[in-house]
Amino acid sequence: MRDGARLPRRRRSGEPRRGAGELESEVLAALWASGHPLTTADVQRAVDAELAYNTVQTILARLYDKGLVGRSSEGRRHLYRPVKGAEELAAEQMQALLRRGPDRQSVLQRFATSLSEEDAEALRAMLKLRRRRR
Amino acid sequence: MTVSVYVPVALSVLVAVISRLMVARLSPTRGTVITVVGAAVLCAAGTTWALVLLALTLIGFTPLAVAEATERGVVLVQPVPGVVGALAAVALTFGVARVVRVVRVRWATRRELRELCRSCGHGELAVVPVAEPHAFAVPGRPGRVLVTQGLLELLDGKERRVVLAHERAHLAGRHHGLRATAEICAAMNPMLVLVREAVAFLVERNADEHAATVSGSRELAARALAKAALAEAGGAKQAALGFIANSVTARVAALQEAPPRPDRLLPGGFLILGVGTATAAVQATLAFYRLIHWLWLG
Repeated sequence: MRDGARLPRRRRSGEPRRGAGELESEVLAALWASGHPLTTADVQRAVDAELAYNTVQTILARLYDKGLVGRSSEGRRHLYRPVKGAEELAAEQMQALLRRGPDRQSVLQRFATSLSEEDAEALRAMLKLRRRRR
Repeated sequence: MTVSVYVPVALSVLVAVISRLMVARLSPTRGTVITVVGAAVLCAAGTTWALVLLALTLIGFTPLAVAEATERGVVLVQPVPGVVGALAAVALTFGVARVVRVVRVRWATRRELRELCRSCGHGELAVVPVAEPHAFAVPGRPGRVLVTQGLLELLDGKERRVVLAHERAHLAGRHHGLRATAEICAAMNPMLVLVREAVAFLVERNADEHAATVSGSRELAARALAKAALAEAGGAKQAALGFIANSVTARVAALQEAPPRPDRLLPGGFLILGVGTATAAVQATLAFYRLIHWLWLG
C-alpha cells in the first residue's frame, strides 16, 4: 500500500473483504453516480451503509491526494465531487467507438450485450419477482 | 497424403459442435476456458497445416518438377486432384487475410480504448460522462475499468460493486487474450466460429461468478446484470452479437442457480477434444513428412 497504512477492514459472513484499490473505485463510482457533491456520510450510504465511516474518510482523503476527487468546505463538513478531466473529449471518443461497425463492436468486452424483446421480458419479470419477494 | 490430411478439418467440426453443445453445462473456470481455447488453437493449427500441405501439392506438379521427375525416371502420382490443391491455396489466402484484418481491428480498437481512458484521468476507474449505460474492461499495464456515468447512475452501491468486480475479473483473468486467440483461430478456420462464441460466453460466466463471490450474493449479481442488460437493450438498437443470442438471459439464469461445481463432463468431454486435436496435429505432421519424403527424396 502506498502510504504504508493498513486500512481497517471488516469481515462479515458471506461477504469477502475488499482491497483498498477496489474501495477507491467504488467510492469514485458513487461520487460520479451522484449528480451533486457528497459528504463523507453520503458517500458511506451510497457505497455500502455497512462500511466503517473512518474507512470511507480514509479512502476519500487518498482519492483527494491523488487528485481524483475535489473537495470544498461547507461549514465544518467537506463536500466531495469527482474531478472531471477532458470529459467532452472522452464523451466524443466514446460515441465514436460505439458507432463503429459490428466487427469493432465485437472487440469491446461488454458487460451486457443487447437483448431480444422476449429476453428483455423474461429479465423484467425476474427483476419484478425479486422485488416482490423482498 | 490420403485421408489424414482431411482429419483436422473433420475434427474442427467436431470440436465446434462439442463446444457449442457443452458451453452451457461447463463449469466456467479459467481452466475450462484455457482448455477450450487450447482445443481451438490445435484445430486451427491443424487445419492450416493441412491447407498448406494441400496447396504444396500444386508445387509438386509444376511443369519443372514433372520434367525433373521424368528425367529421374520417377512416375508422379498426383496425391490429390489439382482442384483441391487450388481450393486449399485460396482458402489459405482468405484465412490469412481474415487474420490480418482481425488483428488490425483489435489493435486499433484497443488503442482507441486506451486513449479514451487517458482522457478520463488516471486511476483504475475511468468514467465517461455519457448517458448510455456501458462498461468495458480495458487491458493494459495497468488494466482499467471504463464505465459510463449512465451505468453508475442506474445502479446502487452494491450493484456498482458487482460491475466493477466483473470487469476486474476480465483483467485479472486476462480474458482479452483468451478471446483474441479464439477469434484469430476462428478467422483462420471459420468452422471454429462456434468455439469463439463459446469462449466469449465462458469468460463472461467466469467474470459473473467472480463478481458473485466478491459481492457475496448471487442474487445481487444477477440483479445487477439484468438491470444493466435491460438498460443497454433499451438504448440504441444494435445488431445482436454472437451466436448465443440469449447469452445475458443464460447468464442471469445461471446466477440464479447454485454455484457451479467442477463437473464430470469436463474431463471426459475435453479429453476427447484434446486427444482428437492432438491426433489431428500428429496426422497432419506425418502427412507433411510423407509428402516431403515422397516429393523430394522418393
